[in-house]
Amino acid sequence: MSAKLLSANHGAALAATLAGRANRAGRGFCSGVYPITPSTECMEFLCLQEIEKGRVVRTESEHSAMGVCIGAAAAGARTFTVTSSNGLAYMAENCMAAANLRLPVVLAVANRTLGPPWNLWTDHGDALMLRDFGLVQFFCADNQEVFDTILCAFRLAEDPDVMMPVMVCMDGFILSHSVTMTEIPDQAQIDRFLPLTAIPHQLGDTPHTLGQIEVPHQTEAHRQQHHAAMLGVPLVYAAIQDSFEAIFARRPADAVVAYRAEDADTLIVSMGTIGATAERAVDMLRAQGHRVGALRVRLFRPLPVAAIRKWFAGKQRIAVIDRNISLGFGGILWGEVQALADPGTVVQNYLAGLGGGDVRPEHITGMLADLLPRQIAGQPAMVEAV
Amino acid sequence: MDEPMLGGMAQTVLDRAHPLLRPGNTNCGGCGMSSLFHMMDHAAEDRRLQFVMPASCAAVCGGVFPLSTFGVPALMTTFASGSAVASGAAAVAQLNGEDTRVVCLAGDGGTYDIGVSSLSAAAERNEDVLYICYDNEIYGNTGGQRSSATPAGAITTNLPEGKTQQKKDILSIMAAHRIPYAASISLAHAEDAVRKLRWALDLKGFRFLLVLSPCPTGWKSEPALGMELVRLAVRSGLFPVLEIFDGKRHVINVEPDFSDEALDMYLSLQRRFQKSGVCAADLRPDLDRNWQNLRVLSGRIVPARRGP
Amino acid sequence: MTHQSHAGYTGQAHTSAPPAGLSFPLEVRVHGRGGQGGVTCAKLIATLYSQMGLHVQTFGDYGSERSGAPVQAYTRVDRFPITNRNKVYKPDHLIVLDESLMGSQVLSGAAPGAMLLLNTRAGLDSYAGHYVNCQLGTVDATAIAREHGIGSNAVVIVNTTILGAYARLLGVPLTVLETAYASLGLSDDLAAAQYAYDAVRMRDVVQPGSGADTSSVPNAEVPPVRLMSEHSVDYPPTLLTGAWSSQTPSYREHDAPCNSACPAGNDVVGFVQALKSGGAEAALAILLRTQPLPSVCGRVCPAPCMQACNRKSFDGAVNIRSLERWIADHSDLRPVQHPAERRRRIAVVGGGPAGLSAAYQLALRGHGVTLYEAGPALGGVLRSGIPAFRLPPEALQHDLDRILALGIDVHCNSRLDSDALQRMQDDHGATIVCTGFGPALDLSIPGTELDGVEQGLVFLDRVKRGPVTVHGQVLVVGGGNTAIDCARSALRCGAVSVKLVYRRGREEMPAIDEEIQDAESEGARLMLYRQPVAFMGNGKVSSTLLAEVEAGPPDASGRRRPVVTQRTSTVACDKVLLALGQTQELDLLPGNWQVRNDRAWQGDQAKQIWFAGDCASGDGTVTHAIGNGRRIALAVLSSLEDAADESPTEATAPVAPAQIRFSHFEVTPPHRDRQIPPSVRRANFEESNLGLSGPEEAGRCFSCGHCTHCDTCLLYCPDGVIRRSEDGYRIDSKYCKGCGMCVAECPRSAMEMHEKIT
Repeated sequence: MSAKLLSANHGAALAATLAGRANRAGRGFCSGVYPITPSTECMEFLCLQEIEKGRVVRTESEHSAMGVCIGAAAAGARTFTVTSSNGLAYMAENCMAAANLRLPVVLAVANRTLGPPWNLWTDHGDALMLRDFGLVQFFCADNQEVFDTILCAFRLAEDPDVMMPVMVCMDGFILSHSVTMTEIPDQAQIDRFLPLTAIPHQLGDTPHTLGQIEVPHQTEAHRQQHHAAMLGVPLVYAAIQDSFEAIFARRPADAVVAYRAEDADTLIVSMGTIGATAERAVDMLRAQGHRVGALRVRLFRPLPVAAIRKWFAGKQRIAVIDRNISLGFGGILWGEVQALADPGTVVQNYLAGLGGGDVRPEHITGMLADLLPRQIAGQPAMVEAV
Repeated sequence: MDEPMLGGMAQTVLDRAHPLLRPGNTNCGGCGMSSLFHMMDHAAEDRRLQFVMPASCAAVCGGVFPLSTFGVPALMTTFASGSAVASGAAAVAQLNGEDTRVVCLAGDGGTYDIGVSSLSAAAERNEDVLYICYDNEIYGNTGGQRSSATPAGAITTNLPEGKTQQKKDILSIMAAHRIPYAASISLAHAEDAVRKLRWALDLKGFRFLLVLSPCPTGWKSEPALGMELVRLAVRSGLFPVLEIFDGKRHVINVEPDFSDEALDMYLSLQRRFQKSGVCAADLRPDLDRNWQNLRVLSGRIVPARRGP
Repeated sequence: MTHQSHAGYTGQAHTSAPPAGLSFPLEVRVHGRGGQGGVTCAKLIATLYSQMGLHVQTFGDYGSERSGAPVQAYTRVDRFPITNRNKVYKPDHLIVLDESLMGSQVLSGAAPGAMLLLNTRAGLDSYAGHYVNCQLGTVDATAIAREHGIGSNAVVIVNTTILGAYARLLGVPLTVLETAYASLGLSDDLAAAQYAYDAVRMRDVVQPGSGADTSSVPNAEVPPVRLMSEHSVDYPPTLLTGAWSSQTPSYREHDAPCNSACPAGNDVVGFVQALKSGGAEAALAILLRTQPLPSVCGRVCPAPCMQACNRKSFDGAVNIRSLERWIADHSDLRPVQHPAERRRRIAVVGGGPAGLSAAYQLALRGHGVTLYEAGPALGGVLRSGIPAFRLPPEALQHDLDRILALGIDVHCNSRLDSDALQRMQDDHGATIVCTGFGPALDLSIPGTELDGVEQGLVFLDRVKRGPVTVHGQVLVVGGGNTAIDCARSALRCGAVSVKLVYRRGREEMPAIDEEIQDAESEGARLMLYRQPVAFMGNGKVSSTLLAEVEAGPPDASGRRRPVVTQRTSTVACDKVLLALGQTQELDLLPGNWQVRNDRAWQGDQAKQIWFAGDCASGDGTVTHAIGNGRRIALAVLSSLEDAADESPTEATAPVAPAQIRFSHFEVTPPHRDRQIPPSVRRANFEESNLGLSGPEEAGRCFSCGHCTHCDTCLLYCPDGVIRRSEDGYRIDSKYCKGCGMCVAECPRSAMEMHEKIT
């Protein structure tokens, strides 16, 4: 174990590298990559690494980058790619294919606003576009979390009970480009944590076809199985956390991260780096005497409904901050979680940091100033963060 | 004293014990792609193969889950990413020191059009992939719409007046990538076809094969006449049969007789040409120009055209 | 993938009212195969009803299937707007576009009294006892549509045809279809619909309400769906695509043109192919079934087979004659003699080719044969009339030895008269007379009595018996093989020059073309369009007056009649040889007998005396004589047994060049015979043609209509369902989609397609 000063992009690439090397005794590691701001650094860093029995294919598009991963995963390799924004949109078709084919590709996303008009800065709209594709989705809040979650993502994706792509999101620039000390385990430790990739339906010598025509009842059955595997993810993830802790002597973050929420009557719910900022706002509000807590949804798909419901129980007011908007509806996280609150709880949606606006603690305390006097929730409210 | 054209190539001990496309597939009767698979049975012998197929009739003919209509492992991909997926599979085979030959089989839509980006990239990277385009000159899987492989004069379901542009010269495009091997294959010239398939299977790097694939359904022709149509296309010079090594050396494998009679016969046996009224005389000037270029490239400046 | 199109209420003026007897809502289900037009069929039905002011809805049940796969389409009709969007589970009308689809799935849910319209080759009567609770209509829509050229041969589009029958079943006039067809651009198909309208056969419900299938939804067994990630097991396909086709291929021998053309009845393609695959021995075994004189025919046959050869127009006919010679010269195989069930004793009169052939066939079958020959030795014209440089005596003897080894009782120097012929009936079951042509034809012009004017056949016979010397210039009159033989023999006997006078053109000369070429290369000169009008000389011929001949109008045989002009010229000559042909006369016959159908009759009484060869047919070639001798011999046997002929196979049209796939074959010029150079050969009577150097020429045979196991069918079968079997190939009918590629690709027309019989 050693600590390195790394950007989250580089941390993600390093995690993928270590995971790739860990499969050298297996069928190796293969990654298809294509540059797009702000994930470019990650792919560049990956391309600089020496990976025994590994290859990084510099493709001509994100669509092909995921295509390479599909082919490599179907051939039994450990696979990884990284993208952002329109790159993810362009990759989307193949993300769906990888998910439906139940191939354990790990996909890092440095979240960025979709364009044009071109906007380089962070927004969760890109990742959430793929909400219903059948990929596990994590949203991270700091560099170590990105590194750890990528490692866990390989273990999770390749778990025989899961066997599907895992997406690990980091806010573009805010996280992808910020540099902090990151604890990097030794290769030997990684080798212990990550078993060799075993994809039961990989192409071998037996004639079998992956991805052929299905009739309705078969698709129904496969969706049902996929759904059931998704629902099992929180339990599998918890076991992975235990294993991680046993090997690396620290515990990766939970699916849902609560902060001073036990005794709170008001909760601030968010995803990504806003969740970290929200903790600072909680401290400020607590200092003012408000019983406020924060809840960060790290695992968005599958949505950890039980955990969220547990934290929502008994709260009077909940602010759901969305760095995204489902146009014509409101925040996507809000849409998902509002039904999990007790009847009578005021659940108010705040849309903040769209297009990369810098959401500061005072924006969040401002939201609370709006929320606390409310008896009923209003329409989703746009909070300007400049 | 056997007939020289076949050379006893069928059902020899070298053939695959089990066919690559098994009986019970859902291809139409007389499908050129079926014939291609069957040719590959002779060529592939007992090599380890894996198929990658983007959306196409080939991807559909495999039948319904969980049946294996292909005699080897096969992976169906999205329409545009056949070459990319094949690159991944081939990369892993290479990493593991396996002799598996990854074959990407795509239609003209997945090759000339939506898949051309990933195809070009994989060729440029010289991935260890054998890419075979079975070219039926239309989007056959969706019922016969125009593709950039559709020849001049053909009507399609979305182009009732007939196409006025020439078909894209994909072979030259692929050769321009300086890949080790690019060749066109006439299924009606079985010996040449099997030789090329064998050569291409064993070569390392990116190999591209273009196969004119009769589609009775889309061409609106008699299923029984598929091979004869290919033969006429070759004879008349419409479909040049050649191979290009490293993007440089051009070898013409079958010398046409440039017969207008053959070309008119080719057109008249397909209802897709009948409605537009296109005839040999309309197509000949472009064919002559294309062949002049081929002559220059192949180093055979003197055209072999007979007659006046 | 269910696509629905709603052809709704249009509010237009209605062309007709709904037929009486229909109750609504009405549900129609169409069962067809991909490519037959089932969805369009349902759409046309909807159009039909919408014209009656009814609400309609129609849609196809789409899948990924291809041409031939079972598909369904539905049409709903009601007086009120239609809201439900389900498939049709309880059809009132069932239209089945392909009889082979019939089964419980198709009938599923049909209510008692439902209308069932079936496209079938079988007539209505074959459904007695079937579908008794349905109103049944049957029509052969496939045949009608194919007749009208709708779709392709393999995939016939029957939708528009069968709707004609549907209109009839509904009891509406066919005119109601006109608008519907016009709206979909199918007006051309109305003629086929009209045909079906008239041709459909109908039967009312036989047993109303009995035994109806009331299950509403087909209860197909649903196999469990494994996890995608557990999907790594090989499940071979279960689909049997053989059911998709309406046609099926099979291997069938067709007559080869060489076989049809051979007057001797030889299995030409058979012996050539046997030579290719099994060598001379195997080939001779086939030849000897019909051919007692292969050494002879391999040298002197005019070979009509080569004229008929399909390779002729491609790169030159197969050199069949010389292949026959090669076989005869390279095998000493003796034919297998079979004992007769009842041994007959039969006399054959005349030891020429016809007599030898008849005797041979009879002896082969175990009968006792006595052969009477007027001359000192067997062979007839083969012995006396064909020069040794064309037919060496040893070659003839080779064949004769083989024939005589069968145990034929030969009497040479036995010239029979009519008395002897009549007596022969006493101790022979039958007599076959094969005495050949009568005396040679003469010219009735001045000077034929002159010294030096001689019949060609006499000259040839003299030459054959011993050395003959000819001096000076020789004029040969005639254009047949005898004339050529005379010319070439005269050169060898020392003639200074030989001129051959013929009254027509070169193309019309009956002689074998190669022989004419040989004569010319040896120095003979052709004088065409000339005819002698007088031989002149003082006791001995010294010149001939020749008249020019013009080609006149064609005669009955199509040849242009020669017209002798007044223009003449004189040619000096020291010898004239006449080769004008022979008469055909039977001086053996008692005065009150006649010849009818190759048989002697006394009034209405048929005698067991038969005639064969040139004396009966006058065809004038060895090969005709052999064939004729064999046929008469067999006729005699069947007459004695009172049975039908052995091989009365019906002749069919031989394989035409258009049925040969020339592109399969490489252009390879024929292997020519090895010839001794003219300057050498004209000096002696050694055989001038040395024949082929090997049997490779057999490889050029297309084997028209006869499978050679060339593997083309199995190579080009798109589905790879043709496998080799012990006796050729086996087509796996479970999977054959009936595309017909194998038949179309067969290089030699040894396959054909059939309608499938279900």
